[in-house]
Amino acid sequence: MPKYKPTSTLAMILAGGRVDELNVLTHYRPKSAVPFGGVYRIIDFALSNLMRSGLELVAILSQFRSFSLINHIGIGAAWDMVGRYRGVSILPPSPSSDYVSTSWYKGSADAVFKNVDFIEYHEPEEVLILSGDHVYHMDYRPLIEYHRRKEADLTISCVQVPMEEAHRFGVADIDDEDGDFGGRVVNYQEKPEKAESRWASLTLYCFNPRVLIEVLEENAKEGNSHEFGRDIIPAMMTKGFRIYGHKFKGYWGYTRTVQEYWQTNMDLLALDSPIDLEAWGIRTNLENRDIRDCQPLKMGPSATISESLVYNGCLVEGEVKNSILFPGVHVKKGARVKDSVLFFDNIVGEDARIEQVISDVNNTIGRDSVIGSADPDNAKRITTLGWNNYIPAGIRIGCDCTVYPRLSQEKFPKEIKQGETIR
Amino acid sequence: MNREKFNDNTLVLILAGGVGSRLNNLVHTRAKPAVPFGGIYRIIDFSLSNVMNSGFIQVGILTQYKPLSLMRHLGTGEAWDFTGRTRGVKILPPRTGSSDSDWYKGTADAVRQNIDFIKAHPSRELLLLSGDHIYQMDYSEMIDFHRSKKADITVGMMVVDKSEIHQFGTAITDDSQRIIEWEEKPEFPRTDLASMGIYVFNTDYLLDMLAREREIIDFGKHLLPSAIENDDIFAYPFHGYWRDVGTVQAYWQANMDLLSLDSGISPQDWGIRANMEENVRGSSDRPPGRFHKNSRTINSMISAGSSIEGEVVNSVLSPGVCVKEGAIVRDSILFHDCVVEENSVVDLAILDKRVVVKKGAVVGYGEDKNVSNKLYPKHLYTGITLIGKETVIPGDAVIGRNCMVRPWTGIEDFPSSNIPSGETIFKRF
Repeated sequence: MPKYKPTSTLAMILAGGRVDELNVLTHYRPKSAVPFGGVYRIIDFALSNLMRSGLELVAILSQFRSFSLINHIGIGAAWDMVGRYRGVSILPPSPSSDYVSTSWYKGSADAVFKNVDFIEYHEPEEVLILSGDHVYHMDYRPLIEYHRRKEADLTISCVQVPMEEAHRFGVADIDDEDGDFGGRVVNYQEKPEKAESRWASLTLYCFNPRVLIEVLEENAKEGNSHEFGRDIIPAMMTKGFRIYGHKFKGYWGYTRTVQEYWQTNMDLLALDSPIDLEAWGIRTNLENRDIRDCQPLKMGPSATISESLVYNGCLVEGEVKNSILFPGVHVKKGARVKDSVLFFDNIVGEDARIEQVISDVNNTIGRDSVIGSADPDNAKRITTLGWNNYIPAGIRIGCDCTVYPRLSQEKFPKEIKQGETIR
Repeated sequence: MNREKFNDNTLVLILAGGVGSRLNNLVHTRAKPAVPFGGIYRIIDFSLSNVMNSGFIQVGILTQYKPLSLMRHLGTGEAWDFTGRTRGVKILPPRTGSSDSDWYKGTADAVRQNIDFIKAHPSRELLLLSGDHIYQMDYSEMIDFHRSKKADITVGMMVVDKSEIHQFGTAITDDSQRIIEWEEKPEFPRTDLASMGIYVFNTDYLLDMLAREREIIDFGKHLLPSAIENDDIFAYPFHGYWRDVGTVQAYWQANMDLLSLDSGISPQDWGIRANMEENVRGSSDRPPGRFHKNSRTINSMISAGSSIEGEVVNSVLSPGVCVKEGAIVRDSILFHDCVVEENSVVDLAILDKRVVVKKGAVVGYGEDKNVSNKLYPKHLYTGITLIGKETVIPGDAVIGRNCMVRPWTGIEDFPSSNIPSGETIFKRF
């Protein structure tokens, strides 16, 4: 029987990680499900890139509090991943076959290794492994074509970073075999003390599946550590596999720490923002959190909004500046919101003042409260509010504070001083 | 299988074929129920969402006039949860019969021509709605009322102003809400109770009656006056916001009602849904609205995908509207992807989709709001200027009040850059 099989690349998104540096934002969700940009989740960037690249056979490897992510992915219809050869599968960890040892994903490589059967079942020509927690726009097809043309075992996508920051990443020394586009990786170091190249790995890999399975099996037998960057790539370098580097030139937004996350949000607001959500064609699942039920933003007679992004479903009666409001946010009369990111369904009470604050979903902020710092000397010291809190009226919360999710009323003092954490 | 159980359903028919000719330009390419409303909605979304929120799952939509835009909007009906094993929405266009081909001649005729659909979906009651009204209503309460009264027909009715009652079917009821007199569009009304065009019929009663009385074409005109003599016809009282946005003025006013916090209309609180997936440039591909530095927006409704650099006051903006630096939009309704270029003004106007107002142009100028449109004095007389779909307004042009620019008019079609109030501009080339 002749078979038309359009998709020969299997995409696997690593979306399981919980990152401590994102603090209360990842207490109840994996990083890839953290809201971003006024209506999206961070994983929407990877999913939309895949859709626009015509790669619609996707596995999502997830193990930390997957509920929020599963809800968001739904059946994948938002990214057109429903069809005969299209689909999204969420692959959670499962117990080992003897049911004795607990068997969480012990690292990025282990997560893929535990799903080798999934890869073998689909018989892809190549496996594209990507992270669900970066903000960028890329057509993956040139990368895959390059990988094929070079008959590479592995092609790593890299971006140039400042030399002084390169030590935070996996760093590849890429030769000039194909000039601006890429070349052979002649040296690779994971988070070196002193970097010798500015090409930082985007943790975006295109693998030959046969080689991938081979190196994963070896790593599983020997290693104590199971990470692509730390273990797999150095081992492959040593063994002389064909590893190529693809030189990515676009914007790459990190969201690893609260500070980075906030900065990437602020990048969105910049006049010539490097992030063009519309041109990039980023889509989200409007079924999640009933975004589809929202009416357009409604602005009251004394409302002002400037330098901001606001989605449908908001009601603004106060003042909003340099901020991002997700659906369902209500800024009441006299309230002022500045340099802040308010997730879904926040209510900011009358005459409250919010500055440099990231507030997770479902927070109600009492009237006359003052949260965050208006002091420019304290810039970049974000106050973070965990979800489902009723912040009492009239409270003072300084900069650089953390409020844990769903606290009871008696936990709140009259004042939370700079740098304090309430749990 | 227990067929009785299926017989307990209510089947919904929505009349969506109306031309709505008084809306003029706005219905040039689409039927009245498909006219955009409130930024992201179309008028029919109110009826469809009410049906969804009332828990009814089988719907037929009777189309006739320019149905394409409506059909695209309905899609599979998934936006209103009409997909599933026992759920469905079907489009019912007029068909050629074996002996006579016929357009729908009236409400009863439209229903009669779809008797096969009604029989194919066994039901206890048939709920007949119009797809061109702005309101929220739980029809299941009306069905309960209908059943408790053991009625043959129940008509949704509300109190309207005496000055408007001549446009409606009117009823006089007794203390039990039984309709004892019915007058269609009376010259000298004796009541302020008006029909909202919402009917509940016992399905068997309706089928029997349509088969028997072949001359009945319209329910209001032909059926009700005689039915109240012999059968049990009741008025179901409705209180709340309800508008027939059949005129440019009423349409504009209902949009403006969205802006005040206490007008009684709130699509979101009412549970009204739009079809966000309508086409490739639908709402689902739109980023959040962007408000630039020094922009000013007050008392307005702004849809996702809009970008504001200038000033927007008392206006409703659909997705993708760009208001450039120095531009002012006031008391206006702008449909999808309109561009208001630098230093131009849009004042008291309705701009259909993808209109471009070039730099420095003024749409809606002058104090002479009382100069009616010369061609359509009954359509445009309150000052509103109507700009048709995909029109380009030349830079520095000044367009007066109650003007109309037909769809697809280009810069070369404008006879001069000064268009006095009451004029109409046609596409000439």
